[in-house]
Order: sequence, then C-alpha cells, then structure tokens
Amino acid sequence: MNAPEKLKKPPRSASELTCIVRVNEEIKSIVATAFRINLMALNAIFLAKRAGNAALGFGVLSNELRRFAQDLTHHMASLRDMTSGSVGSVTGVVQQQRNSAILLQAIRLSGDGVPGVREARKRGAQRLAEQHGRLRALDLRLRAAVEETQQLVELGGVLARSAKIEAAYGGGFSPALMQVSTDFAEVIAQIKRSLEVLGKERLVKD
Amino acid sequence: MKQAHCIYQNDEHRWLAIARDASKPGYLIDTNEYLVMDGEQALLCDPGGIEIFPAVFSALSAECDPTKLAGIFASHQDPDIISSLALWLEFKPDLKCYTSWLWQSFLPHFGGSESTFVPIPDPGMTIRLGSLELQAIPAHYLHSSGNHHLYDPKAKILFSGDVGAALLPPDQGGLYVEDFSRHIRHAEGFHKRWMGSDRAKRDWCERVSRLEIDMMVPQHGAIYQGPDVQRFINWFAALEVGVLRG
Repeated sequence: MNAPEKLKKPPRSASELTCIVRVNEEIKSIVATAFRINLMALNAIFLAKRAGNAALGFGVLSNELRRFAQDLTHHMASLRDMTSGSVGSVTGVVQQQRNSAILLQAIRLSGDGVPGVREARKRGAQRLAEQHGRLRALDLRLRAAVEETQQLVELGGVLARSAKIEAAYGGGFSPALMQVSTDFAEVIAQIKRSLEVLGKERLVKD
Repeated sequence: MKQAHCIYQNDEHRWLAIARDASKPGYLIDTNEYLVMDGEQALLCDPGGIEIFPAVFSALSAECDPTKLAGIFASHQDPDIISSLALWLEFKPDLKCYTSWLWQSFLPHFGGSESTFVPIPDPGMTIRLGSLELQAIPAHYLHSSGNHHLYDPKAKILFSGDVGAALLPPDQGGLYVEDFSRHIRHAEGFHKRWMGSDRAKRDWCERVSRLEIDMMVPQHGAIYQGPDVQRFINWFAALEVGVLRG
C-alpha cells in the first residue's frame, strides 16, 4: 500500500522546523556579533584611556557599549531558550499531523461506520489544536522578545552615533577613535538587519 | 490489499490472520498480523509497521469491532513488529502492550507511556483475554535478545514471531504451507542468518515440542499446520544457525 497522499508533501510543520533553524541561525549570528562588540568596546576603553582627557566622553560611551553587548547576549540567550522549547512543540505537531494523516487513510479504507473512529479523530484534532495553541503562544512571546531586543539595539545605535561625535574631539587619537566608532555603527546596523529578519519569522503560519 | 482470514473459530473464540499485502511497496517486508478474539476482547499480535497501519486497521475493522481491541502483543522490538504502536494508541489510548521487560524503555520511542506497557518476564507469563489464558512463551535470542511467542492452549495455536518465517516468492502466496520441502527452502537462509544462538534454538525446540500445537503461525510467510508443525521443529533443531552462509 502506498504512503498516504498527505505524507508525500512536506507537512506545514516541516517548514515550521525550517523556520526554527533559520531563527536559531540568526540568533547565533547576533550572539557572535555581540561578542565582537564586547571585545571592540574593551579595546575602545583602553584606547580612550591612552587618549586621556580628550577622550573621556568616548571612554564613558565605550563602557556603555560594553554593557549593551552584555545585555544583548542575555536577550539572545533567552530567545534561544524559547526556540529550543519550540522545537519540542513543533515536533509534537509533526507527529500528531503524521498520525492523524495515517489514521485518516485507515478510516478512508475502512469506512466511516467503524466504531470508535469518530472519537479517535476528535481526540487527534483536539491534541493538534492544543499543540498549535502552545506554538502560537510561543510565537507571540518570541515576537515580543524580538521587539524588546530591537529597542535595546536602538539604544546601541544611539551610543554608536554619540561615540562618533565624541571621536571628533579626540585630538591626535581622533582618526583611531573615529575608526572604532564607525566599526561600532556597522556591527550594530548588522544586528538590526538580523533582528528585522527575526521579526519577520513566524513559528505558526496563519 | 491485506485481508483478514479466519484460521480458527470456536463460538466467540477466533483467530484471524491478516496476511498478504500485494499492494504494499516492494521495499517493505511483508508481514502477517494475527488477531485473537474471545467474546468482547481482542489481542493483536505483532501489529506491524507504521506504513502498513492503514491496511491492517482496515482489514481488522472489516472483521471485528476495533474498539474491542484490549491489547497488543509484541514478540520483540523490531520496527516491522511494533512501530505502528503510536497509531494504535491514537485510535485507542488505553491499549496495553505486552512485551519483554527488556524493551520496556525502548518501545516508548515508538509511542505510549509508562501505563501502556505490561512487561513480560524472561520465563513468560499468562495473558488473560476474555475466558482465555494465553501463554507468553520464551523465545529469547530467536532472534531478539528479549523475545516471546504466544501460545493459545485452547485453539492449540502457537504464534511464533520470526521463527518459521519464510520469504516467499510472489507466486507462492498461499496462506498455509502446502508442500513443506518446497516451502522450507525459502525459510532456510532467513533462519541461518537471523537466529543467532544454537543453544537458544535447542531450548525452544524442546519447549514447544511439549506443547500441543495444531497450527504454528509466523510473522512472515505461510502457516504450518498438522504434521508440518513437528516437521518444522525437527528441521529447525537440525539446522545450523548463526551463520552468514553455508
């Protein structure tokens, strides 16, 4: 007997699993960037110390950027926890959809009059709805967390722009400080792009 | 498509063989499933794999009310034996699965929870079904390290799992063994390769020789009846097992 028709097409949840993989990859890339900002901020603090009084403001901003990088890492860790949890929920949906599809195939072969099949289908549909509900709630939490992180990154952007202004007052160290602040701005722009991608991902398709 | 054939009936006590699925994909090994029924209760022996669930369910439903299914007997842990477990539980969540204690924590990977499994101890146990007292008979290492067969003393039927299995060519699709010498050629290679222990084989032959068996029903191939049962036991006792070739 052939595999049930529905199983020949990848189930919707397969694309949901792919979505989780994409989300995780973006999170990994942001975490790596946050680590880079942390190192850059440390270097910037040392550079500002060498520059002395001329770079006092730049030093303060570098400290703030370092704290920002640490906060960003914490945010990404909680996002990663959410996606790990969603793998379990999506797998549950995949299993339930597969079981329901095969059971439906069996019922088609046997006829609707077979005792117990209506109840079995009802139970399956109920379980699937519950699992979808869990996934939808997780999706909402994930989106809220991404929005919160976007606000944090806005602050990072402001800090990078201010660092650029402070770099202009760095005297002889100005070109080096300018280079560092430009690098900050670039990596933060990169994080913004990743967060935009994350914000568009949906664990549950409407 | 699979069909259920009644191989034994005495009032409400019945054995059905769900065998021969010509429409299944060629890459799947053909399997036989057996349903033991007594009154309001039924037990399904080695329900098969996920892919054949629709065919087995449909064949079973054609002959009996599937809500009467009280349990599943899994001779061992292989996917062609029991990977459909989650689907049977999808239909009837309170089903019990009787299997060797050895597989109690492995089979939940196919489905079910702690309350699903009834562990069968190594020496076997009695499984009550309606008024019947079915016997789980040890068949360890034939081929699985935790393996049982199921004996129905009233019907004198032994469900022998992989023992007695034959990989038959498509033109030999009969439900029963008709010509033992011709049939056993298709069982030889399988038994030599899959049955790993000569000692276990001798123990099993001695054990089942003490039982009154009218029919020996394997999970693959045709059913042995009457004198062919003892012929098979003698043949198996003499067979060198646990070898790749020869």
